Amino acid sequence: MPQFDLANVFLPQLFWLSVLFAILYFGVVRLTLPKLGKVMEERENKVSGDIEKAEKAKLDSDKLNEDYETGLLVARDEARKMLADAKSKAAASVEKKSANAQKKADETIAAAQVEIEKARASAMKEIEAVAADGASSIVERLTGNAPTKAVVSKATKSVFG
Amino acid sequence: MANPMEQFEIKDIAPIEYGQYDLSFTNSALWMALALVTVAIFLFVGTAKPQLVPSRWQAAVEYLYDFVRKMLDDNVGPEGRKFAPLIFSLFIFVLACNMLGMIPWVGSFTPTSHISVTLGLAVLVFAIVCIVGFWKHGLHFFSLFWPKDTFFPLAVFVACIEFLSFLSRPFTLAIRLFANMTAGHVLLKVFGTFVVSLGLFSDLPFVLAILPLTVTIALTGLEVLIAVVQAYVFALLASIYLNDAINLH
Repeated sequence: MPQFDLANVFLPQLFWLSVLFAILYFGVVRLTLPKLGKVMEERENKVSGDIEKAEKAKLDSDKLNEDYETGLLVARDEARKMLADAKSKAAASVEKKSANAQKKADETIAAAQVEIEKARASAMKEIEAVAADGASSIVERLTGNAPTKAVVSKATKSVFG
Repeated sequence: MANPMEQFEIKDIAPIEYGQYDLSFTNSALWMALALVTVAIFLFVGTAKPQLVPSRWQAAVEYLYDFVRKMLDDNVGPEGRKFAPLIFSLFIFVLACNMLGMIPWVGSFTPTSHISVTLGLAVLVFAIVCIVGFWKHGLHFFSLFWPKDTFFPLAVFVACIEFLSFLSRPFTLAIRLFANMTAGHVLLKVFGTFVVSLGLFSDLPFVLAILPLTVTIALTGLEVLIAVVQAYVFALLASIYLNDAINLH
């Protein structure tokens, strides 16, 4: 095997290996990789920063959404309350109006009744007077004597109560 | 029939002598240089204009870099990040050498099929582990070998074994990669020569070559997989050894 002819192959290969590997390490890798490492780090930071930002934005939007939901709920409650108020107010006003109308009607009815009562009483008086006159004239014709007013009124009174 | 070992032959391209030392630029050095150029193009293009939204090249480099960083995070922890460039260099250099060696061409050469190269890389890893270990923990680093809460004579015995296994690490690390690469290329070459010799069978030309050719194609796929896996294993073991030095256990 030529590989084990160390007396002849070892030194030249080792020498050139040292030279070339030194160039590779100091002249190529050390000059290039750190640049790349910086960029990779930057990218990592940017990506993690972006993720953080996105997470924050999501949190914000979640909060906004929550606020919106609660706002909606409050508004709905308010609307419902307003509606109920309006309903009850309307009902109350209707009741009041109908009560008023009822009262007016009652008053009118009562007034009418009083009137009727008055009319009846006067009519009754007139009838009494007519009846007394009639009775006294009948009695006068039958007996020839006109009865006294007191007697006539007593008699009519006993009839009309 | 060509010798399947011929592909591992080292050939001088530019002979260089420094004093009594032979520092020639060989085909092995050439392919390591090609690996370096490939990696350099890949990295320089990929990081020319680093952007938050990466281009395709940048995404490819980032993928590999992230892969190495994750490996270090998993095996070493937060202190491992400092060593990402080193482990990345090891990983991508071994990967490039392995993959360039897979080019199906007579001139292609796999530097990582040479124990000299893999041992060089493994010794580098070993040296860094030792330096980091003693730097961070001083002589306390030796407690790495001492099993906790163990019967004393047994602990001594275990410590000896642990120490030997620690010393053998560069060799196992080197031999694993070298042996995998060598075996794969020998196998490919053997089946490749079957294709030629059976295809030349004059009474029934080409037909007999179909089977070894199929095997060669399948083996090429397997070898590409091994090339990637071995680069990964090398980097993974390097980071596990680093973990010992940094966190002691």
